[in-house]
Amino acid sequence: MLIQPFSPAHAGLVRDESRTVGYADSVSFPRSHEQVTQIVRSLYQDGIPFTVQGARTGLTAAAVPFGGHILNVTRMNRILGLNRLGENGFSVSVQPGVPLCELRKALSARRFDHASWSKASLGALSAFMHSREQFFPPDPTETTATLGGMVSCNASGARSYRYGATRPYVLAVRAVLPDGRSLSLRRGECFADGYTLTLPLENGSRLTVQIPQYIMPKTKNTAGYFAAPDMDAVDLLVGSDGTLCVFTELELQLLPLPACIQGVTCLFETEIQAAAFVQAVREQVEGVVSLEYFDEGALAVLRDQRADHPAFASLPPLDEWIGAALYVELHGDDEAFVTDRLNEIGDLLSACGGDPAHTWVARTQTDLDRLMFFRHAVPESVNLLIDRRKQAEPGITKLGSDMAVPDEHLDHILTYYRQTTQALGLHTATWGHIGNNHLHVNVLPRNLEEYTKGKALFNEWAHKVTALNGAVSAEHGVGKLKAGFLTAMYSPESLAQMRAVKAAFDPKLLLGRGNLFAEKEESR
Amino acid sequence: MKFAVCVKQVPGTTEVQLDPVTHTIIRDGRKGVTNPFDAAAVELAVTLKEQVGGSVTAISMGIPAAESMLRDCIARGADEGVLLTDRQFAGADTLATSYTLSKGIEKMGGADCILCGRMAVDGDTAQIGPELAERLGLPHVTDVIAVLSVEENALVLRKTTADGTIDLRVALPCVITVLREVAQVRLPSIEGIRRSFAAPVHVWSAADIGTDPARTGLNGSPTQVMRTFVPEKTKITKMFSGTPEEQATALCTALKEVL
Repeated sequence: MLIQPFSPAHAGLVRDESRTVGYADSVSFPRSHEQVTQIVRSLYQDGIPFTVQGARTGLTAAAVPFGGHILNVTRMNRILGLNRLGENGFSVSVQPGVPLCELRKALSARRFDHASWSKASLGALSAFMHSREQFFPPDPTETTATLGGMVSCNASGARSYRYGATRPYVLAVRAVLPDGRSLSLRRGECFADGYTLTLPLENGSRLTVQIPQYIMPKTKNTAGYFAAPDMDAVDLLVGSDGTLCVFTELELQLLPLPACIQGVTCLFETEIQAAAFVQAVREQVEGVVSLEYFDEGALAVLRDQRADHPAFASLPPLDEWIGAALYVELHGDDEAFVTDRLNEIGDLLSACGGDPAHTWVARTQTDLDRLMFFRHAVPESVNLLIDRRKQAEPGITKLGSDMAVPDEHLDHILTYYRQTTQALGLHTATWGHIGNNHLHVNVLPRNLEEYTKGKALFNEWAHKVTALNGAVSAEHGVGKLKAGFLTAMYSPESLAQMRAVKAAFDPKLLLGRGNLFAEKEESR
Repeated sequence: MKFAVCVKQVPGTTEVQLDPVTHTIIRDGRKGVTNPFDAAAVELAVTLKEQVGGSVTAISMGIPAAESMLRDCIARGADEGVLLTDRQFAGADTLATSYTLSKGIEKMGGADCILCGRMAVDGDTAQIGPELAERLGLPHVTDVIAVLSVEENALVLRKTTADGTIDLRVALPCVITVLREVAQVRLPSIEGIRRSFAAPVHVWSAADIGTDPARTGLNGSPTQVMRTFVPEKTKITKMFSGTPEEQATALCTALKEVL
């Protein structure tokens, strides 16, 4: 029996990293495209709504069901093969339930379970073993995320400053539509004609979709369906937030790993100095792949955690005078190039009120791991703090923003976030991808009143960010938690066009209910 | 106070990669790194220098490429580097290595405190520190986890023993070997890296330090490596399933078989 009734043993499957808790009636753990087809057909016949989920590391509750069936793809966790792209390039074919960390491990150790691989894949593997080390560039902080989840929300991360989000690395997909039909798409083979997209399905039938006509922001963006005239069909499915299809196979592009990777954390007294440094680095330094920010609030939480918790004792000491920190990662094909860039960063620091002596440079894997641990320790520490506060006030949870604005508004938005949170007396910790003007401002409520204030404030921000031509969700996707923000970013006509896309794929509106479109809107 | 720290470059990874078709070993070309025990020794020396003043010299016997490791030590607070490099030194065991290092340290004019990591992660012998002390005729303390105080003519140290720790005073000059927990290695700063490019790394040959060719490298090494191999895994993991009673019965049966 592929479909099992929901039992207490499945309790963990109704929650995700956003700490939203839902409920479900049944669950399945398919291992193949064929099993997914069988399950989806049965659900379609019986009119049962269903939610697709991977590792449930998302922050928007997109994988959290509110009733119906859970289609959990974590057992679809095989790496299916390697493919050659031209002379020196490679791509990897995977099932959607492969965690990012497992793919990374296999690529770096060049070790695969290749017993069932095709001859062509084994040939590619042999070439791969002798090629330069390859990597999959998208790097969300949570590496236990599944690749299917990353494609569904078009995840990005620190290195997206240089390498972009997941979308451009998706070369081909195979998927099951909500009515059980199968679809295979390869990038570069199926394009919209203006705003009309006709998808050829595996059984010979066709599906025609009208692409929404809104203009997407030029910033990082995962708010709503990707839409542009003459677009590639693959781009519509990437970032569709579990609302259009169930991915069963993905082909992902790899890139040669740069020969030299170095990172540097720069320490500043003030946020203003850090912002000036960001502008200067963006304009003047080549080879930068990420620019990550930690504000005073985030550093303070980390400092307390380091003092109280032995697990964090290996973090470098954070002196009291440090009011802001920036992590810059540099990639290059030789060490001399990267060292020159490091020197330029030193000069820019001196010019912006920083100091080349107040930096932590990582030039070895061990040191890079330490700086990575530092970056991961920030959200971890904030979660621990919130868990403690939750004991006193169970109704609260962390509120994290995920909005991005164009480059020219960085100073303005930093000041705006600071002023509006201070005016309400809220405790905040801010970190994130400042290179893309994309910060995660986290409100850490001490009581229910602050929680409510924070939620209302985020709605205000959604309007503000939209007015600055930004995106209300830049990398986490929309899911259920940010569906309300979409109404700030898009007009009713645009939302209706989005809903029409959804209806074309899923006329019974069974898949991923509550994602993108608030439930009450959808049932109209 | 003059500190000398012996450092060794070790491979950055212990993973061996094989071609699935030809089954040949693939060299991944990853750079060597400072032996982690030695990195802790450098950190300790730099911390002590910051407390009591003086200088830190990082010294290594190795291939010319090990110069970059010495510059990394300088970026992390050492003042200068000494690289002992010569074809004659190749193939050395610990006896020949400690002899070569002792000659290098003599040419430096000696030191008040010579620090070594407890052992290298690629050799695991833990012999260099004590051998070096014998060669130089100095007292030594192994497995140091803390320097409790620096006195005018002595160090007060805490070392681990088989069943605990012991605090003791050792007269200077001396040799100590340290465990990794003796210090948390700092990350270099951009300023430190700039300094490392300007600072001196002295490159000395066999002739420069006056070693006897019969006592260095392969000639001076009584140890012969017969074979290196990856140890075979003999551990077998068995999973028992069923009710707790069934699992307990299966476990008892399995234990009876081996006991």
